[in-house]
Amino acid sequence: MKLTSQMAYKSAEDMIFGTALKPVTTKRGIVLGGGHVVPEVVPHPRPGSEKTMKTLLREYERANGDALERCVIVGHPTLQIENEHVFQMTHNPKWGGEIAAQTAKQMDEYLKKYGLKASYRSTPADLRKPDMHHMRESDYTKEVLESFEECTKYADVVSIESMGGKEIFDHAIIRNDIAGLLFGQAVLGGRDMEWMWTQIVEICKKNNCIPGGDTNCSEANTAMFMAGGFISKDVPHTLAALSRAICVSRTLVAYECGATGPTKDCAYEDPIIKAITGVPISTEGKTSACAHSDLCGNVIAAVCDLWSNEAVEYHDMFGATTTAVFAEILGYDAAAMNAAIDLGYQKEFQACLVNSDKYRGPHGFMLSPDNAWLIGKAVVDNNESLYARGKAAAIKCGELMLGDPKLRLTQFERESLMGYMKDMEKLPAKEEDFIDMCLKKYAKVKGFNPAAYGL
Amino acid sequence: MKILEDFSNIFTRYDLNIEVARQEARKVSKDAVLQKVADAVVAGETAECEAATKAALASKSPMEVINEGLIPGMNEVSRLWDEGVYFLPQVILASDAMNAGIALCEEKMGKAMDKKGKVVTHTAEGDIHDIGQVIVNALLNANGFEVINLGADVPVDKVVEACRLHNPVMVTGTALMTTTMTAFPKIAAQLKRLGLNIPFVCGGGAVSEEYVTSFDLGIWGKEANQAPGMAEDALAGDSWSVMRSKWNG
Repeated sequence: MKLTSQMAYKSAEDMIFGTALKPVTTKRGIVLGGGHVVPEVVPHPRPGSEKTMKTLLREYERANGDALERCVIVGHPTLQIENEHVFQMTHNPKWGGEIAAQTAKQMDEYLKKYGLKASYRSTPADLRKPDMHHMRESDYTKEVLESFEECTKYADVVSIESMGGKEIFDHAIIRNDIAGLLFGQAVLGGRDMEWMWTQIVEICKKNNCIPGGDTNCSEANTAMFMAGGFISKDVPHTLAALSRAICVSRTLVAYECGATGPTKDCAYEDPIIKAITGVPISTEGKTSACAHSDLCGNVIAAVCDLWSNEAVEYHDMFGATTTAVFAEILGYDAAAMNAAIDLGYQKEFQACLVNSDKYRGPHGFMLSPDNAWLIGKAVVDNNESLYARGKAAAIKCGELMLGDPKLRLTQFERESLMGYMKDMEKLPAKEEDFIDMCLKKYAKVKGFNPAAYGL
Repeated sequence: MKILEDFSNIFTRYDLNIEVARQEARKVSKDAVLQKVADAVVAGETAECEAATKAALASKSPMEVINEGLIPGMNEVSRLWDEGVYFLPQVILASDAMNAGIALCEEKMGKAMDKKGKVVTHTAEGDIHDIGQVIVNALLNANGFEVINLGADVPVDKVVEACRLHNPVMVTGTALMTTTMTAFPKIAAQLKRLGLNIPFVCGGGAVSEEYVTSFDLGIWGKEANQAPGMAEDALAGDSWSVMRSKWNG
């Protein structure tokens, strides 16, 4: 696999919501990244509905159907629906396939009856927990790949939240260990993704499905959520930001293997991915408060092509069911961005989104388009290895955080960051030396199996 | 792009408002050798702690080193965390250092030190998101409890069997997904059927107070750092209903 050496975008100024350099067209004719933002709603089934395929099919029929119906009621022209598989849908690959088939049929009916253009993203669950299952040879691995086989027959787009390196990441994130993050996320995660995504892209080609992308949800999002808001004491926000920068090294691998976007919504690293690759990205911020809190509410929409809500459990609200309500909210957000585009005010609107959160915290800061582009540039300029580009991204991210006085850091956050920067200075220059060091350092981490990553 | 100079009308940085002044750890021992052991725990330096423990064991009994060096050092770390000076990674590193020291003391004693009580921990069947459980384990360990760690994706029967076998003071369940937390009431029902009225603390991700308090034995854990306090209550003999009224509602 050749590591990317050039930026798709020449500057951050060229990046805007709704337009990507490499747009993608879905089965019912939505051009993602083709000039306008598309809402993406993510329904999640209620507990108990996972008991049988029949009950789960019924749950998704209603949850997905309510979202489609609401778009017609309020006049949203497009909608993407994503179903992130619950365990049972991937563990029984036929279930995920049946749900994809059912949803595709619903979308065909809405297109025929109303002209609503909708697309469906199916996201099999990565059941492989690295410390419990062999990443390449377990029964769970087979189920995940079988699930892609089934879902790509009907879905417009498939994605995954791959788990490579999670065993090392979990050990490292609660120990302030930046080397462990680099090893788990960039070195192991990237290797696992290359193995997995080569196969996913082939399956997609066979079934005429769009290979969307991956997300470092299991690691960088874990760091971000542990860092939490302004009163959390679990993980420094500066460490979470470095973890985000590092993860670009591994998330990028999907696109290097042939994924085309739309990227996965919960990959907060996506603005950097868009700067490097030009693929359409799906992002989430304020509208994902139904699933989790973040400090990136508006800024994360600054260069989005799809605008998502992460996941909302299906149940009743005053205004209708949750999926109907969130389809409406997301669609109106997209309508505001699209109105700005058609009025020629898109850069002004983007400035409002950026100013809302760029300096709210380290994550919003590093994912602001200007800084996202600079971190992406560090990645492509250091493309000799997954490790080198992950480290370069983290160092650039750290330099940016320390170099902008408008980003105010607590004394603890600043001292922590300076410590990580010093730790990174001491790390080996070459990936092979770093791997040798890490194989010794993490030999006793529970369940770590280097062979599962081809090491 | 135009960027504001003043963001005070846009957001409030409460973290800067509540920033806690730097504090040094307090001295916990008048004995320089034992203080060095405690200092290594406070600093979270495992290698230093091992060296200091070995040095201390040359002149002190293992229980002296544990009770007057390692544990007071960890208590100091807990205090700094409670006061907002330390973050979680510093607590985990201190716990690693303390455990390394305790292992050396146990080696010299030829037996394991007595723990306060057992806690069975697990992550629900079908759920592999166990970092919350990992933190709970570390904090319980650091507070002197013996953790029976069943890991992630644990079937209901295995949790029940572990409770039957170990008779813990408390059992915990972690889940990220609402579709996996449905294992919790099944576990609670089986425990009740066996007459094991063990407080069952459930938390993580989408696990809600409303859900956990809908079945007997269930107590909702909002944050991982509540686990040691809850285990202390269970150890003191509080029933699940007493614990629920204290920690929930």
